[in-house]
Amino acid sequence: MTTDAPTRAPLGGPIGWIENRLHLGPFIGALLHVRVPADAKTFYLGGITLFLFGIQVVTGTLLALYYSPTPDAAYESVLSITSDVQFGWLIRSIHHWTANLMILSLILHVIRIFVQGAYKYPREATWLVGGGLLMLTIGFGFTGYLLPWDQRAYWATVVGTEIAGAVPLIGPPLLLLLRGGPDVTDATLARFFGIHVLVLPLLIGALIAIHLLFVHQQGLANPKRPDPRPGRPGPDLSAEKTKPFFPDYILDELIAWYAVLTALVVLATIFPAGLEAKADPLITPEHIKPEWYFLGVYELLKLVPETVGVVAPIALVLVIVILPLLDRNHEVRPRRRPIAIGLATLLLVGLGVLTVLGGRS
Amino acid sequence: MRPLPALRLLAGPALAGGLLVLVVAASATAGDPPATGGSATDAEPAWYAVVQATPTPAIPLESAPPLPTPIAHPGDASATGCVDCHDQVDNKQAAIAEDWRSSIHAKEGVGCADCHGGDPRSDEITVGMAVANGFQGVPGREETVGVCGGCHANAERMRPYQIATDQYSKYFSSVHGQRLLTANDTKVAICIDCHGSHGVKPASDPTADVYPLNVPDLCASCHADAEKMEPYGIPTDQFEVYKLSVHGRQLLDEQDLRAPTCTSCHGSHAAQPPRSDTVVDVCGKCHTATQALYEESAHSRLPAVGPKCWTCHGTHDVTEPDERLFLHEGGVPDYLCATCHSPTDQSLRLELDQFEQESDRRCDTCHHERSVIYSQVEAIAGAIGGAASAYDAALFRIDEAAALGMIVADAEVAAAEAKTGLIRARAAVHTTKLAAISAITKETVDKAAAAEAIANAKLDDNTFRRQAMVVVIAIIALNVLVLMGLRRRLHAPG
Repeated sequence: MTTDAPTRAPLGGPIGWIENRLHLGPFIGALLHVRVPADAKTFYLGGITLFLFGIQVVTGTLLALYYSPTPDAAYESVLSITSDVQFGWLIRSIHHWTANLMILSLILHVIRIFVQGAYKYPREATWLVGGGLLMLTIGFGFTGYLLPWDQRAYWATVVGTEIAGAVPLIGPPLLLLLRGGPDVTDATLARFFGIHVLVLPLLIGALIAIHLLFVHQQGLANPKRPDPRPGRPGPDLSAEKTKPFFPDYILDELIAWYAVLTALVVLATIFPAGLEAKADPLITPEHIKPEWYFLGVYELLKLVPETVGVVAPIALVLVIVILPLLDRNHEVRPRRRPIAIGLATLLLVGLGVLTVLGGRS
Repeated sequence: MRPLPALRLLAGPALAGGLLVLVVAASATAGDPPATGGSATDAEPAWYAVVQATPTPAIPLESAPPLPTPIAHPGDASATGCVDCHDQVDNKQAAIAEDWRSSIHAKEGVGCADCHGGDPRSDEITVGMAVANGFQGVPGREETVGVCGGCHANAERMRPYQIATDQYSKYFSSVHGQRLLTANDTKVAICIDCHGSHGVKPASDPTADVYPLNVPDLCASCHADAEKMEPYGIPTDQFEVYKLSVHGRQLLDEQDLRAPTCTSCHGSHAAQPPRSDTVVDVCGKCHTATQALYEESAHSRLPAVGPKCWTCHGTHDVTEPDERLFLHEGGVPDYLCATCHSPTDQSLRLELDQFEQESDRRCDTCHHERSVIYSQVEAIAGAIGGAASAYDAALFRIDEAAALGMIVADAEVAAAEAKTGLIRARAAVHTTKLAAISAITKETVDKAAAAEAIANAKLDDNTFRRQAMVVVIAIIALNVLVLMGLRRRLHAPG
C-alpha cells in the first residue's frame, strides 16, 4: 500500500515507545521551539519562581507525610521532623527558605515586569493572573506560618488575622472565617492546613498553567519596544534579533536554577528552620513580629489609624492589579515613563523603609 | 546523746594565744570527722560539741495601753456638713476633703467625726466644731494610735470587712510602739505615717503607700533619712542596699509580689528587726524547704549564737548564693577570735555585725584551715563546684548548638534536670552533710553529662551538615560547569 503522507522513521527506546502511541512530539515541539527576543532580559525570575514552587511541592508533600494538623500534635510532629526524621531538618529548612525566596523572586519578577512595561498590550491578562499568583503565594506564606504551632506561629497568626478583622465592612466575618471561630484554635489550624495543602495548591496550579499558556502564546516582551497593535503602524520586526527558547534560553535558566539551589542549600545548612516554645494562648510574647514580607504593613499600622493601615495596602494591591487599565501609555522604556517609574520607586522606597523600621522595632 | 569514746581538744594555741576553746568530741565508730580526707558520714554529727554562749535575753515589752472607746458623735456617714464647708475654706482643706472622698473610709461610711468628733450634720463652724458637741480637733500623735485602734481593734466593728484586729496590740509590741510608750517619742512612725490620715487606702490598692511594691519606698522615707535617724543611731542605707539585693531586684525591678518587702521580714504593725533566735523562722516563711534542710544541720543545733541565715547570706544585701560563699579566694584573712567567739568567755557567739561585710560570709571564716571541719567544707565546695561546672559546661555546649540553629529542646530538658539537681544540691548544703550533698551532686554531674552529650551530638551533626553542604555545592558547581560548556558550544561560531 502506498500513501502520499510522509513517512517517519519509527523511534526506538522508551521515548519511541511513548511517541509511537501518544504522538506528543509536535505538542512538545510547539512548546519548546519558540523564539525569544535576543534583547529580552528576564533575569530568569519567573522561571526561578516556578522552580521554587516545584521544590515546595516536593518538600511540602514529604513534610505532610509526618505532619499532624492538630494543636496537640502539630508542634511535636514538627519537632520530630526537625530532630528525629532522617533529613527532616533539611526538608523543613528547604521548605522554609524556599517559601521566603519564592516571595522574594516574585516581588523581583513583578518589579522586572513593571520596569520593562511588560504588563502592557498584549499582556494585560498575564499581569492580572500574575497578581493572583502573588496573592496565592502570600496566602501560602500566611497559612504555612501557623503550621509549626509554636509561639511565633500562633501569635503572628493572632495578629495577622486581627489585621484581616479590621478590614472595613467584611472584617468581622472575615476574621471568623479565617479563624473558624473568635480565637485562633484547633479550628484555625485545621483550616489553615487544609487551605495550605489543598485549596491553594489547586488554585495556584491552575493559575500557573494559565500564566504559562499566556506567556507561551505571547512570547517574551521586548524591553526596547512596545508590541505592535493590530491595524496600527508598528516597527519592522523582520530585522529583530531572536534566539531559540530551547535550548539557549532554557540552558541559561537552568544555570540560574542551580545558583538558586546553591543559595537554598547554604541557607538551609547555615540557618536551619528553628522552632520556638509550643504555642500557648495564655502567654503573649513580648515582641510579636510577622514574616518580613508583612513587616511593612505591620509598621504602617503602628503609624496610621487602623482603618487607613488596613485599607491602604488593599487599595495598593488593587491598583497594582488593574495597572494595565490605568496606565494607557504605550511606551515601555523606563526612561520615557518618568512618572510611572518615579511613583514605583517612591512606593518601593516607602515599603523598604517601613519594612526596615518594622524589623528594628 | 550517746557516750563519746574519744575526745579531742582542738584548742587555740595556734589561734591567738588560746582564746578559742573549741571542744571536739570524736566518735571512733560512726562519725570520724572528715579531717583526714576520709569518707564523711551523715550519721548523727555527735563528734563535736561547742561551748555555746547563752543567747541574749529578749527585753520584756511594755504592755499596750488600754484601748480607747471610739469617738461618739451625732449623725452618720451620710452627714456631709464637714466636707461641704471645708471644700470652700481653701485649697488645702479642699484637698483634705477630696482625699477623704477617695479613701476606703469614705466608701465604708467612716466620716470626719469618727476621728475628730463634732457634729457632722451641720456646716456651721459654731455647731459642727463646737467642743460642746464633742469636737476634739486633730488628734495628737500620741493619741492617734488609740483613735485608729478604737475601731480597728474592735472585732465586732471589723467583722464585715474580715480584716485583722490585732494591729493595735501589734503596734505597741513594735520598736515604734515601744518607743512611743516608754520614751513618749512622738517622732516614731504611727498609723497615719504609713496609711495616710485622710486618704487611707487598703493595702491591696496598688496606689497605696502600703501596697507591697511601695513599702520599701515608704519605709525609706524615714529610715533612709539621716537626719530623722540620727537620734536613734541606726544605719540609713538599708533601702539602697536592699534595692540591689536579690529580693529588692525581684520585687522592684520584676514587680514580683512573691518577693519579700521590708514588712515581710520585720513585720508591719509589729515592726522590729528579727532576732537571731527568730531569723530562721522569718526566712523559712518563704524558704520552707531550705529551713527544713537547715534544721537537719549541726548549725541548727547551736541555738541563737550559732550560724543563722544571715551569717552566710546577709540581711538587706542578700545576693544569689553560689560557690563563692564556701571559701575565701586567695587565702583566709587573719580573723580575730572575737569574730566568732565571745571576747569574755570565748564561747561561740556569731554576732550579726561581725558578718556585715559580704566578703566575711564564708565557711572558712569560722572553719579555719586548721579546723577539723575545714576539709569537709572543702569537700562540699568541691562537690557543688563540680556539679555547677558540669552544668555550665552542658549549657555552654547547648548554647553553641543553638547558635548554629540546631533544635536543642531535648538537650535543654536534660539540662533542666541537671539544674534541678544543682538547686537541690545547693539547698542540701544547709544540712552540712557531705554524703547527702555528694549523692545529689553525683547525680547532677551525670545528668549534666547526658545533656552535654546530646548537645555534642548536635554539634557533630552540624559539622556533618556543613561538610555535606560543601559536597553538594561542589556537585552543583560541576553541573553548572557542564552546562556552561554546553552553552559555549552552542554559541560557538559556525
